[in-house]
Amino acid sequence: MFGVSLRRRGLATVAVSLLVFQSPLSTAADPVRIGWLSSLTGPLSSAAIAENQGVQFAVEEINAAGGIDGRKIELITYDTQGDPTKAVNFAQRLAFVDKVHFVIGPVNSGESLATVPIAAKAGLPNLVIGTIDELVDPKRFPRAFRAINTNRQWIVAANDYTLKVLKKNKIAIIGDTSGYGTSSAKTAAQLLEAAGVKPVYSVLVDPNKTDLTDELNKAKEAGAEVIMPWSAATGLLARLLNARGDMGWKVPIVGHSAMMAPAIPKLLNKPEYWADAYATGYVSTTYTADGKLPAATKALLDKMRPRLGGKEIDFMFWWVALGYDTVKIVEHMVKQSGGTDPAAIEKAFVTTTNLKGVYADYSWTAEDRNGFPDTGVVVNAANSLKDGCFRAAPR
Amino acid sequence: MLTALVTGIAAGALYAAAALVYNVMFSTSKVLSVTTGHLAMLGGVFGAWLTAGLGWPLPVALLGAVAIGAAFGIATEWIAIRRVLSRSDEHLWLLSTLALATMLQQGVALWWGTEPKPFPRLIPQDFSAGLADQKYWLPVAIALLLALGLEVFYRRTLYGKLFVAMSEDAFAARARGIPTDLIRSLSFALAGAMGALAGFAAGQLTFAYFALGLTLTLNGFVALAVGGLGSNLGALVGGLLLGVIGAFATYYLGGEYQQTIAVGVLMLVLLLKPAGLFGSASIRPV
Repeated sequence: MFGVSLRRRGLATVAVSLLVFQSPLSTAADPVRIGWLSSLTGPLSSAAIAENQGVQFAVEEINAAGGIDGRKIELITYDTQGDPTKAVNFAQRLAFVDKVHFVIGPVNSGESLATVPIAAKAGLPNLVIGTIDELVDPKRFPRAFRAINTNRQWIVAANDYTLKVLKKNKIAIIGDTSGYGTSSAKTAAQLLEAAGVKPVYSVLVDPNKTDLTDELNKAKEAGAEVIMPWSAATGLLARLLNARGDMGWKVPIVGHSAMMAPAIPKLLNKPEYWADAYATGYVSTTYTADGKLPAATKALLDKMRPRLGGKEIDFMFWWVALGYDTVKIVEHMVKQSGGTDPAAIEKAFVTTTNLKGVYADYSWTAEDRNGFPDTGVVVNAANSLKDGCFRAAPR
Repeated sequence: MLTALVTGIAAGALYAAAALVYNVMFSTSKVLSVTTGHLAMLGGVFGAWLTAGLGWPLPVALLGAVAIGAAFGIATEWIAIRRVLSRSDEHLWLLSTLALATMLQQGVALWWGTEPKPFPRLIPQDFSAGLADQKYWLPVAIALLLALGLEVFYRRTLYGKLFVAMSEDAFAARARGIPTDLIRSLSFALAGAMGALAGFAAGQLTFAYFALGLTLTLNGFVALAVGGLGSNLGALVGGLLLGVIGAFATYYLGGEYQQTIAVGVLMLVLLLKPAGLFGSASIRPV
């Protein structure tokens, strides 16, 4: 339901959210202008739509409470449609026309590769929410700070689960031929080899490949005990699960979080094909052994539930939590630095340790601009979605 | 390896169907429409929506999807072809059909979503059928049926002969009183119906996915160029060759070489036999 309304909203090229409540202080103070680059329509829009819910909610919540030190937030949202060219144009507009104080996004790594240098050139603090390594660099992009995990953190978590929990070391890696799939599969193989384990089989396949039986047969012949897919393409992941199920091969699959996407079960030949599949997720959206969620997650879920339709949440809530946290991080930095001066904001970032968020607790340093902690990543049972969160994979 | 062969043939059959669709439109208009693959996408998406979304019985949903394909075919001719052809001899239809294809894909993405969605089982069959599964052989059966149907249509029906007449010389056909605009519209309707039928038949293989169109447009074109423009036999052979070569390239070398090899085959054929395997070199009167 909310997806439909958001799509309509996304059709507009620009959506500007202004404050609803006015406090006496805000009439005198300039607003804190946040540019939000989000692929609300087009490919890969589902994560962006959910993140946008969190961003919007945080802005409304802060403004309703009087703003940040009396300054209301003005959110300027541009729909990049997942297109790096559009993202570049909007990033330039945010920097040089709208003259924002912060840029959040874009959502996709491919777009971020194009926009991060623009924000850096304009000297703007940029909250990065793409996972690939190249997006942060203290020398080239001194004011780019990552809020999401890195891709490497996901891969390390999946490798650790395979080697230390499942205690399997005959691993087949299947990546897709996209830039993301290719680099992830390579990184996974490198990290495994660094741990003394050489994958028994590695292959790249087209994300639209219609059948993966051949690849699984080869993996089986190579002696694989675990299949590790690195692809965000839900169609490919569903085909992998279908091929395994149709073959009747009882082999665990451990890999990318897209394996938990709500789109997956609809594409499976049989519901049971989703079992024995494990994907990287987050501590913040994982139920504890007694079935409870972390308090901050529970609180945000309860606060946002009416906005999200008032019923059980049937998508990944971590996107909402990430969107919410990005605005709360901006709030923290403005308060810490006493304003929106970019140099002061940078200083506030690099001295931030263990900032409590919903999605994670964040720390940045002068040397490391990745704020998400290694301990924030877990492996979930792929088929365990319940109210936007997941069960931990068996240990 | 047998799986690679079967999946290659299944994918190749879909490329062949796209090449046949190209041929039908090309016969009356000399246009290679970029919307070709999108017709199959419409068949898959609307087939899934009419059956799973609206609960229509399969035969009715099939007719509905084919009708939508035919309607879009006519719309393509009206919007992107007719006015362009009447105003210019240049290949501006490439841009107009590309624009229409892009608009259609974006529209479907907004309405249907950008994630692939399931396509229903068309014939009761257990999923343990392996390589005998209907998702592999339905596209093959439909491609053969379309090729056979076209041959019968061209040889045995009045309208088919009118298509052939226009294909050979549209000006002469018009001089003989053939309503060429109407025949061209009919050919695009037929192409739309064929494309949608192929997309419907291959829905279990491809899922109902908004971005299928461009892939099929490209691979259908390669199949057509390899087989020979205007030849239905060439379309079949070209499509199957492309599918099988792509599958074996993935099997032996990995997916990263699949597209390179497909385009490499095209380049090789164009260098050695520019008219394609079954195409006839056009004779330029002087």
